[in-house]
Amino acid sequence: MESAAVPAETLPTGAGAGEKGLKSNAIGYASNLVIGVASTAPGYSLAATLGFVVAVGGIGFHAPIIMILSFIPMLLIASAYNYLNRADPDAGTSFAWVTRAMGPRLGWLTGWAIVAADVVVMAALAYIAGTYSFLLFDWQSAADSLLAVSIAAGIWIVVMTAICTIGIELSARTQVFLLGAEILTLALFAAVALYKVYFGTQPGAPLNSVYIHADWFNPFTLHGGSTALVEGILLGVFIYWGWDSGVCVNEESENSATGPGKAAIMSTILLVLIYVVVTVAAQSYAGVDFLRSNKNDVLSALGGSVFGSPLDKLLIIAVLTSASASTQTTILPTARTTLSMARWGAMPKALGSIHPRYLTPHVSTILMGAVSLIWTLIIINVSQNVLSDSITGLGFQIAFYYGLTGFACAFYYRRELTRSFKNFFMAGVVPFLGGAMLTYIFVKAFIDNKPVDSAYSGGFLGVGAAVAIGVGLLLFGVVLLVIANIAYPKFFKRKLETAPPGFLERPPGEPATTTVTPE
Amino acid sequence: MSEIVVGYDGSDSKAALEQAIGLAKELGDSVVIVFGYAARGYEGGAMTAQRDAIKEHAEKVTADAAETARAAGVDSEVVLVPEKGAEALSDLAAQRQARMIVVGTHGESTLRGVILGSTTHRLVHIAETPVLIVRP
Repeated sequence: MESAAVPAETLPTGAGAGEKGLKSNAIGYASNLVIGVASTAPGYSLAATLGFVVAVGGIGFHAPIIMILSFIPMLLIASAYNYLNRADPDAGTSFAWVTRAMGPRLGWLTGWAIVAADVVVMAALAYIAGTYSFLLFDWQSAADSLLAVSIAAGIWIVVMTAICTIGIELSARTQVFLLGAEILTLALFAAVALYKVYFGTQPGAPLNSVYIHADWFNPFTLHGGSTALVEGILLGVFIYWGWDSGVCVNEESENSATGPGKAAIMSTILLVLIYVVVTVAAQSYAGVDFLRSNKNDVLSALGGSVFGSPLDKLLIIAVLTSASASTQTTILPTARTTLSMARWGAMPKALGSIHPRYLTPHVSTILMGAVSLIWTLIIINVSQNVLSDSITGLGFQIAFYYGLTGFACAFYYRRELTRSFKNFFMAGVVPFLGGAMLTYIFVKAFIDNKPVDSAYSGGFLGVGAAVAIGVGLLLFGVVLLVIANIAYPKFFKRKLETAPPGFLERPPGEPATTTVTPE
Repeated sequence: MSEIVVGYDGSDSKAALEQAIGLAKELGDSVVIVFGYAARGYEGGAMTAQRDAIKEHAEKVTADAAETARAAGVDSEVVLVPEKGAEALSDLAAQRQARMIVVGTHGESTLRGVILGSTTHRLVHIAETPVLIVRP
């Protein structure tokens, strides 16, 4: 018999094929909504930042307005994600886009900033996960022990890395259930807290309850002025972090002709609502002093009082499931960023390899886990306050790469902007404004946080610890960039690209760029 | 002459491939070597980078499989589908009106299969085409 091996493709190669795959998996509305909200992990974000926002000098009761204002830069940058993703859906998101639009050096630094931010956040995540795991079993002494929390945090990172390496994923239905439970728990928490404040049998509730006041939503009565505002937003940027990529990249391009998908809009409204309502309820119930003094684990501290035992465990479970989702949405995208950088020839080739059985970027994933583990054990053990400062420091890294993404969008489409008002506004003005806002926040926060005495943990290398972690790691990236420059000369010779003329007038779906293939 | 669809990902499905080739030879069929290359894990940023990397891996692995078929004197065709294994196999088999689908048990332990559901497990439930399961 005549034998022939005919490698054939049922579907066209490139992004078209990918799109088809996504479509046939038919991620439903609920599932899109879930992924949009889950990638920001509201329960965990609140547990990690609410206390710190309230504790910023001059913010206090104004935390709700900070939650709302922080969303503005994210919304602006989301437009950049949307437009850049249309041109190049094929790679390491911001790394690829900034490389194309603004050159390989800024692009490489952007990739580094993503990795650095993800490593830094792992410490905070693992710390919360470790502490809350003990609190779930009322094991207070373990939750207070640095050694016990370090061990639990370490185990957490190892397990999560293993899950990402093996590629275990929960079914969409399980995810919808878990997130639904998380949101319901937070809503229930807010409702019970407010009920107790207004209609509780004990006058004034158990803590220093206060009635909701319109002034909480007025940014102009902030005592700390612009310094407090910027400091608050720097923390607030962190709580919305992940929203953009989760929602925008998931948006199927077929639907984008009719404007942003309904799931994206709904998940956005839902997120802002969750943050504002829970913040209002928490400070109304307990007052700001309580939140300040329990800033490391606000939700568990409040849960006991609001729900009482054993219902308070619901809140702890919600934070834990939220943290696990968040760890996964941290490890995976980071591993994919380094995978993408390796495929572009900008990082060691091994990082671009795929496990033959699990089909995951196992080298990138395990390296990410290992670096996070080391970082986490150091940070947790140096002092609790360093952990607090690292959340502020994280804001610098996020502001850096989101800001550059905003500028990259306006720059990449600069010749398309005059073609229509929509182009001009959505691909130009909005992303640029987002970039400018984040630049301002970065610079202002840098000046405010530079003094040693501004940090919780004091100074490090002569600057405040938040700046040392946030900006210091970015500067370390510059050192690595110099080395990469020598090691990967071909990548660094890349030329700048702009959008092909008339690209935005074309029907959506066809990317502007060709897929990068490894040498 | 009909077609036998075989799920092949290189790892533990060599036995399935050999079985499919053997049957095809006896029945005078050709084999369709299928690799589903949907990336696992959460969707979102840089997803496509992973998918592309998997696709390259898939191309390499399936080329070897096609070579095996050629050596045995059986006609073969390689199809890469950007979907998860079970869906990729059942859709393609239905579309081609294939005689059967041959898959390996993937060496997945019973426990893992029960908790997470294996490709094979899922395939048996969704496929309308007869499925032959081969232990490695």
